Amino acid sequence: MLEAKDLSKSFGGLKALQQVTLRAEFGHSVGIIGPNGAGKTTLFNLLTGEIKADSGHVSLDGMSIDTEPIHERVKLGLARTYQVPRPFAEISVRENIRVSMMEDNLKYMLRVAWDDTGEQEIAESVGFTAQQLDQLPSELAMGDLRKLELARTLATNPKVLLLDEVFAGLTYGEIEHISNLLIERRKTHGTTYLIVSHDLKALQPLVDDVLVIHGGNVIKKGTFDEVVSDPQVQNAYLGTG
Amino acid sequence: MNSTLRRGIYGWIAFAVVMVILPHVVGTGVTRSFVFAMYLAIFAVSWDIMSGRTGYISFGHPFLIGIGGYTTALLTYHLHWPLFLSIPTAVVITMIGGTLFFFPALRIRGTYFALVTLAFMELIYGLVQVIAPNVTGGTRGLSGLETIVTGAIPNYYLALVVLLVLGFTMWLVIRTHIGTALSAVGMDEDAVRASGINVTRLKLFAFMLSAFAAGLGGALYVHYLGSIAPRALFDVGFLFQILVACLLGGAGTISGPIAGAFFLTFLLEWLRPYFPGPERFLIYGAVALVLYVYQPNGLHELVRNGLKRLNQLKLSRNTS
Repeated sequence: MLEAKDLSKSFGGLKALQQVTLRAEFGHSVGIIGPNGAGKTTLFNLLTGEIKADSGHVSLDGMSIDTEPIHERVKLGLARTYQVPRPFAEISVRENIRVSMMEDNLKYMLRVAWDDTGEQEIAESVGFTAQQLDQLPSELAMGDLRKLELARTLATNPKVLLLDEVFAGLTYGEIEHISNLLIERRKTHGTTYLIVSHDLKALQPLVDDVLVIHGGNVIKKGTFDEVVSDPQVQNAYLGTG
Repeated sequence: MNSTLRRGIYGWIAFAVVMVILPHVVGTGVTRSFVFAMYLAIFAVSWDIMSGRTGYISFGHPFLIGIGGYTTALLTYHLHWPLFLSIPTAVVITMIGGTLFFFPALRIRGTYFALVTLAFMELIYGLVQVIAPNVTGGTRGLSGLETIVTGAIPNYYLALVVLLVLGFTMWLVIRTHIGTALSAVGMDEDAVRASGINVTRLKLFAFMLSAFAAGLGGALYVHYLGSIAPRALFDVGFLFQILVACLLGGAGTISGPIAGAFFLTFLLEWLRPYFPGPERFLIYGAVALVLYVYQPNGLHELVRNGLKRLNQLKLSRNTS
């Protein structure tokens, strides 16, 4: 279970997040929506430890992870994708995935990679073809970069997965493929998802609960239908006109 | 994947065989040039394992080499330590001393890392002359240091063994997961962290290998020369020779920087009869520049492309 309590973060005078609290049980999936600049990515950065919260606590599985560095949180099972994909530009798709699959100890890392079935399996699960394994990220289209981003994250074997706009730039077919993959994984691994997405249609079948953030505050919590029909949420999204 | 590894190992064997035979074919003068080339290659390998892939461009490698050199020089000159003790001690001191300075510096990236490490070099250059010049020999350094072996050919084989062992080991290391991870650090360090890898430990490991090679190379080098002086080691010219060897050869490949070191040394030697003065360095600079602009990935890439084209030629001839 991932739990965040009263997370706050300011950048200078800008209050990016104020006292945000959220809970995601294992196997549970939470959508996070809100207009641009609401603080969704900041929330992810606080959860993964990329930036330090001014106040508040994060715990995983009942254990506080406030002092754990990024890579330790990943090893504990908390992984994320980036809104702007961040592949390793000059190594192949296969090697990109390999970096995430490595065990974090030097003895393991001092081995030559003879066998790449693991990398191949993950690459194929997100929809890469066998030929694409040797391609460089610079040769990939946006949709494929998102798949690589997801593949690299899945390769860390996460219990809780933070997905930041994974559907942006994908075709309908690709969205369906990724969606099915996530649903399937949730069934088999009990993976928890926190999903930030502007694509509400893609979000709907994936999430149990939705959290709406606006101006750094949680303004609404509830099921998908409750949230989208809420007038306050509609105002936040569409403006008061 | 296995085939590239196998081909690489064949390459190392071929290199070793040629190098073993060489001193029996060429004269003493050329043999001595080769000894210099091999020490430069050892320093280039040391630089490459740390900076070649990670993008932490060290301008402070003479600092590390100098710690190794001065440690063994002082221990043997003043305390009359035997070489078999002073050289390992020099390696250990280089690794410890280097860590004290470089480890904090490994938190800063890019140009700043280069500048800070350059400052280390200048700092120790000053310190060696100012602090206890009667011990370090001050500006003039120390001469009459013990040598390990005498004569061009024994020194040649000593340097060759060290270069082959260090070079091949480092070459193997970058072919493991470590090499992939180090490349990834050079591309996006934070994304490596987000892949669940302790980047600090990884950088420290690469640095330790680098310091080991620098310390060992530095210690052996001063006992080859029989003397040590601050301006011979803590010098921008010396630093640039290492850097240019790596860049020309192809940074991050280990075999490239070795080739680069040989190329550089012999380019300078070949130019010597025609241009005895400093204008030699102008030409050497121009050649390095043109080569680098033509192929930024260095000699290593040129050879690889050449082999690829040769293969294609063979294939097309077979099919026609």
